[in-house]
Formats: sequence, structure tokens, C-alpha cells
Amino acid sequence: MKIFFQRLKNHSKLAYFSFWFLIFFYIVSFLADLLAPYHFDHQFRNKPYHPPTKIHFVDENGHFHIRPFVYNMVVDDPVFRTYREDKSIRYPVKFFVDGPERKIFFIFKTTRYFFGVDEPAGIFLFGTDTYGRDIFSRLLYGGRISLSISIVGVLISFTLGMITGGIAGYFGGLLDQILMRFVEILMVFPSFYLMLSLRAMFPLNLSSIQVYFLIVLILSLIGWAGLARIIRGMVLSLKEEDYVLAAKSLGLSHWRILFFHIFPNTFSYTITALTISVPGYIIGEAALSLLGLGIQEPYPSWGNILSSTIGNLKVVGDAPWLLLAGAFIFAVLINFNLLGDALRNVLDPKNW
Amino acid sequence: MEKILEIRNLAVVRKQKVNSVPVLNDINFVIEKDELFCLVGESGCGKTTLALSIMKLLPKSFAVKSGEIYVNGKNVLAMDEKSIRNIRGKEMSIIFQDPGAYLDPLFTIGLHMKEALHEGIKTQREMMIYALNEVGLEPYVLHNYPHQLSGGQQQRVMIAMALINKPPLIIADEPTTALDILTTYQIINLLNTIREKYHPGMLFITHDLKLATRIGTRTGIMYNGYIVEIFIPGKTKPVHPYSSILMGAVHKHFTISKTMLSRQSDICPFFEKCPEKEIECQKQIPFVWNKDMTGIRCIKHGRNS
Repeated sequence: MKIFFQRLKNHSKLAYFSFWFLIFFYIVSFLADLLAPYHFDHQFRNKPYHPPTKIHFVDENGHFHIRPFVYNMVVDDPVFRTYREDKSIRYPVKFFVDGPERKIFFIFKTTRYFFGVDEPAGIFLFGTDTYGRDIFSRLLYGGRISLSISIVGVLISFTLGMITGGIAGYFGGLLDQILMRFVEILMVFPSFYLMLSLRAMFPLNLSSIQVYFLIVLILSLIGWAGLARIIRGMVLSLKEEDYVLAAKSLGLSHWRILFFHIFPNTFSYTITALTISVPGYIIGEAALSLLGLGIQEPYPSWGNILSSTIGNLKVVGDAPWLLLAGAFIFAVLINFNLLGDALRNVLDPKNW
Repeated sequence: MEKILEIRNLAVVRKQKVNSVPVLNDINFVIEKDELFCLVGESGCGKTTLALSIMKLLPKSFAVKSGEIYVNGKNVLAMDEKSIRNIRGKEMSIIFQDPGAYLDPLFTIGLHMKEALHEGIKTQREMMIYALNEVGLEPYVLHNYPHQLSGGQQQRVMIAMALINKPPLIIADEPTTALDILTTYQIINLLNTIREKYHPGMLFITHDLKLATRIGTRTGIMYNGYIVEIFIPGKTKPVHPYSSILMGAVHKHFTISKTMLSRQSDICPFFEKCPEKEIECQKQIPFVWNKDMTGIRCIKHGRNS
């Protein structure tokens, strides 16, 4: 593992950075319950479209405070929703504040969060949306859904694709014909419409957990067909390799050869394809949510945070912080692509 | 003597859409314990096909038409997939031509050797190190990947994998072709040492007749899918016209045009190019066995001896 990091670092500094950036993103969003100052559906009815809160160190009189503080924002103009800072009271940013109980990973109970401020002031690092919900908290919670959908979906579809493609390629014959014709049927459908129609087959009034698993399932059932085709082709050529013959001459079983000699040799392709297809799942989820078929309000995902801006061009000028979900999606996608590109070279033992 | 390998009337064909081309015809020989049987022949005469059919690893386009192969008294060709798997690597093992291609690039040497050892052995590591020691490699190569070793080292690893289970039959399919002359010499010495130590029956396939006459206890000469002659180097001289040409080719440039190989099975396989051919050669020539397990497939010379 240590050697792996060293190699990744030597190969490409950028990819090394991407790797840690993604790890950081995953950790942060899975610890959302601890890190987010507010719960995702906590509404500040009197603070819609609140701009990002300014964090101060120096007060009006020019005194410096080590502990950062915020001012309460009061509505200046209710029509145009402009705010001004009420500089009479300082609200220091408190760390490890108490609050209502939340569960980390649905298991550990916590009543303390990483940071927060006293009411009536609010700390909205990325502003609030129409209902006065903190975008920063929602992005963290939404990241949990968007990022885990991608990982779980990728794992399901890659397992399906590798096993189907591997069996079809290795054993060949009638089995190959049946499996590949089935894969072709799946590939014939335009994936976005297949996604929509699959989603439409299920009732709309599902609980958010059910919707979550449904989306994972739909996305991964669409994604595996192309991969199975490619894996089959690779297995077809790999099974003629001399080391496969040598493995047979040692008396290894077909399954062992397939799983231990052939699959690892497809990894140079698969790992790259895997990291590059992760963004597809994030976008797929975003697309479904954008159309209102994905994760439903009040549960956040990066897709449905972004979808709240749809058809509302006003926000681009007035509340651009609502588009930050798009920036998050973009950041994760580009980092996955950079990492995937580098991993192929790093994981090939011939380059060691 | 104990018969390690016995091949009876083996015939192998390559299947094509309309007809099937004979690749091996009428192969008959026996390898005993502690014997090094060399098989010499030009490229394409069926040496590797023979090795693969003993292992029952023939590609799908090949089929055994007739004959029996007994390894350690067990009929290999009659076995099902599962029982042949138990024999491979345990009772017979094979050393291939190009060691670089036959080692999985993603596996360390240790993993390769672990696969060669069948599961359920407690002293795995000791056995692996012992086998590596046998072939003259240090234990640290267990952590190396194949591409980090030289060609000679890779071939030593292949040999270590082949002998780790101490099989009674070792097939070496041109193990020195990809190596330079000094490494060849070392590998041959190594194989000889192993033979002296474990007394396996060995089938050594090569196209180097000089090498074969030097190391083999018996040498068979193959031409066009037939074994044309079996002789004991140092004791008898090869007399078949093809063998003489092959012996001559060692010393001077001699080319036989390979464009038109006769695949007719009812005449002498060497008929078209034989310098000593007679009219009566145009019929099926039987293999004539002598008492000392040598023999020849030639009317003229078989008659004389």
C-alpha cells in the first residue's frame, strides 16, 4: 500500500492530489452528521436566499478576536431579499456545539457537531436556498448519497459485467452466444430512456431509502452491458496466452484460472474504466433527480440541489451559491478522471 | 524397468472444415524411469503437439484420432477433466519453450510456486525455498515479478515449478530455445542433476540434434508427424536417410525445402525428399523395433539391421 502511494506520487503529482482529494470528499460527506452545522431539512423560514455568511475576526471597533465570529443578518428589503449585518451583537463560532441528536452512519448517536453558532444568527458557509436551508449542510448530506450511489453502482455493474463477460469469453460456445445476445438487447436501448422507463415502472410514492436503492439498481443494470462486451473480448485473447496454458499444465481448475489469472490481467483496463465510469453514476443520479425522478425532497443529493435552480434563471444573478452543487459534481468528476488515467500506468507491474 | 510413459499408436489430427489434416501418425514409444528420451525434429513436425497431447492440453482444433497414452499406468486420454487435473503438475509436469510468456506477468514467483504446489501442504514455504535452491535460485526471488528476472532465471523458475511436486514424468518442450548458449549449458546441467537426484522419466524435446545425442539416453527422430528412428546415442548410429541428413545439417549448410510436406499417410513420410528412395517405398512402412528399444521406419535400413 505504501509502495502504491509512492508510485502514484512518482507517476503523477496531480493524480496523487486527486486521490487524496477524493478520499477527503468521501470522508467529509460520510461524516456529514458530525460536520454539518444544521440538519439537511432544518429551515430558517425568515432567511431564504441568504448569502454566504461572512466570518469575521476583527470587529467594528478594530479589535482582533482569535475566535472567529459572525453577525446576525437581518432582512433589509423583503422584496429583493437583501440582507444586512446587524453589528450590535457578536455571535462567536463555537466548536463541538450541542444540538438535537443525529446518528453517524445510522449507528453512532451524537448530539455534538463540529461547529455552529447560537440562534438567532446562522452560519451558512454557502448560503441558503428558497426555504432557508443551509446549502453547505445539504451539500455534505447530498454528497453522501451521490458519492455512495456511484461506488455501489459501479461495484454492482462491474461485478455483473466481469462475470458475464468472463464466462462468455472463457467458456465460449452456446453460453457465449446466449449471454452476448442478451447483452446486445440491453445495449440496443438508449440508456437515458431506458433509465426513465425503468424508473417509471416503479411507483412514485416510495420512501427515500427505497428510491436510493432503486436508483443504484437502475444505474448499475444499465451500465454493465458495454463492460461485459469488452471484458469478453479481452478474455477471448487472454485465454490464448501462454501462461494460461502453463496454469492448466499445473492442474488448476477453469474457475481458478479465470479468476486468478485472466481477471487480474484485465484490471489494467477495468480499473481505468471503473474510475472513469464513476462520474457517469453521479451524473445519472443528478439527471434523474433533476427530472424529479431521483432522490426526493427534502432529502438532498447533488442532483436535486442543482435541480432546484432549474427554470429559475434569476438565481444565477441573485443567488449563485445555489449552483455550487454543480461545482462539486465537476470537481469530483475531474478528479476521478485524472486518477483513473494515472492508475492504469501505476498498477501495471511492468512499469515498476 | 518401470514404465513411466507409454504411447501406443497415437494419431492426432487437426480438424478443418472439410477434412482433417494428420499431425501425428503411429507414435509408439516408452519412457522408463530415470530415462532421458530426446525427441528431435524440425519445426512443425509435431513435437509440441505430442507434448501437449500427453498433458491432454491440445487446442480445441486438434483431436486425438486413435491410440492410448499411459502415464504411470493411467490412461490419460480416457480420463475426465477433473481427474486429469489431479495428475497435471503432480504426476507429470511440463517445462515450456519461452519462460517469459509462460509466467503470468501479474504474479510473483512465490504465487506461481504456490499454485504449482497443490493446496493443503503445511510446509509450503520450506518446499518452495527448497525447490528454488534445487535450481540454484535465492529465496528472495519469491517476491519478484517475472519481468524482473533474466531469461535463465525465469527458466529456472519454470523448472522449479515443474519439479516441486517431484513428478515421475517431466516433459521439457524445447526448454533452451529462447536462451543463449551458456545459459543453455547451465540449464542442461541442471536438468541432468535433477535426473540423477530424483530419477524421473524425462521427455526432452529439442531441434538441436547435437544436444540430443549428447544428453539423451535414447533419441527419437521425428519427421512429418512420424517417428522415423529411435537410436541410442554413442551406441548405435542413426541410419535412416532423414537422420543422416539431419546429422549432416549439423555440420554444413543444408536446406530441405519445407514447402511441400506430404501429408499422405500411406507412403513413407520422407519419400518425396529421400535421396535413397526406391519404388517399394511407396507403401505403408511399419516401424521395425530392435531388442534394445531402438528402431527405424525404413524399408532399406530396417531390412539391413
